[in-house]
Amino acid sequence: MSRTSIIALLIFGAVLGYFLSFGPETTQKFKASVYQLLAPFLTGGSGIKKQITSVRTGLRSLDQLEHESAALQVENRELRATNQGLRDVEHEVNRLRHALNYRERSVFKLIAAEIIARDSSTWWRTITINRGRRDGIETDMPVVTDLGLVGKTTTVSDSISVVLLVSDENCRLAASVEGSREQGIVSGERTTTGLTPLLNLNFLSKQADLKPGQKVYTSGVGGVFPSGLLVGLVKSYRVRELDGQAQLTPAVDLSHLEDVFVVTGRR
Amino acid sequence: MIFFVLLLFLVLVAQIAELFIPALPWLYNAHVYIVPVIVFYGAMALPFPLMLALALYAGVLLDALTVQVIGGKVEISAGSSILLYGVLAGIMHGLRPLFARGHWEVHCILSGIFTSLIVLAQYLMITFRRGSLVFNREICWQIGTPGLIAMAIAPIVFWLLQWMGRMTAYPYSPEGRQYK
Repeated sequence: MSRTSIIALLIFGAVLGYFLSFGPETTQKFKASVYQLLAPFLTGGSGIKKQITSVRTGLRSLDQLEHESAALQVENRELRATNQGLRDVEHEVNRLRHALNYRERSVFKLIAAEIIARDSSTWWRTITINRGRRDGIETDMPVVTDLGLVGKTTTVSDSISVVLLVSDENCRLAASVEGSREQGIVSGERTTTGLTPLLNLNFLSKQADLKPGQKVYTSGVGGVFPSGLLVGLVKSYRVRELDGQAQLTPAVDLSHLEDVFVVTGRR
Repeated sequence: MIFFVLLLFLVLVAQIAELFIPALPWLYNAHVYIVPVIVFYGAMALPFPLMLALALYAGVLLDALTVQVIGGKVEISAGSSILLYGVLAGIMHGLRPLFARGHWEVHCILSGIFTSLIVLAQYLMITFRRGSLVFNREICWQIGTPGLIAMAIAPIVFWLLQWMGRMTAYPYSPEGRQYK
């Protein structure tokens, strides 16, 4: 081995040692600064991808468009009916809330963000959004859509942030089941077989006997997620040796997300 | 040197492109990895010090884009990808004479195997942190498929890089030896 190679190997070892000595905070800062450097490329790449996708989706046949139009008309009628129903429910809820002197429903400060990249690696379910510290975003802020919970921010640089999806095994949150006193911890699965990942609601009581379709909300315990955010719907329930476990379908279609909101606080 | 800079640029472009290539749902959401193929080509084409520099650069990028800090804990410490790339590229570099004689097939196969090894190593590291070692069919596919894809694209990538090497008048024998 030549002298140059030995020197190169020593430098490599020293740099490697330097990186291996990073603690969580330094790693977070390092990651954020690299993301900041790559931000223009990521936003640019996202724009190009959107253009390609829009060209591809624009090339639809007339039949498809007609079919789509008919389906949309039906959906529109359904939504109008649902909307009317919801107005009635809203009125009733307001009346009951007032009657029971319930605390006024929390209203959050939301920052709209666009997804610029997703799933950067095999083992973590993440998305990258085009908002960062400059917009008031910090680490561990909940990310939602109008349908429910999406995840929480992890790495935040000046102009972009990484969001850990609720379907990731590491994104754990306390949740409660609608219509019962059951509380548990929701976490994602390490691997997903299909397009739609499932969530696990663990540590339920063995007598929980949850029914498919029951809604699961964040309970507010833990500090990151405020209470009342819809997490998902119960798909199945099983009793294990020590506890009960429910499988949930996420409230939000995580594989087709385009825009999200970051909850920065209460209004 | 121009070729080395070109490789650095291509690694950056490929790393960003990987973020926009969706996972393959019909293959258990397996990902497509292009960067390892470029790095392993560099390991064969570049002299030892530059090979280490390329591995370092690619490792830093991979660490920065994949490592997650969740709840104040790092699952895969920064530097692990540098180590992985360094070791695997070093092995590839050892097979350089074969490559210089025009035997690419071994390197194409090895590029695939090493790509899967990187994904496997990441999985073992997160398993070590999270506990409960699970090895089901989905995980095997998610580890194996990136390797198979890398193996399939390696000949095309190698050919393109070889062409770029010629265009930039890269000698392929910078250590003073001419392989025949």
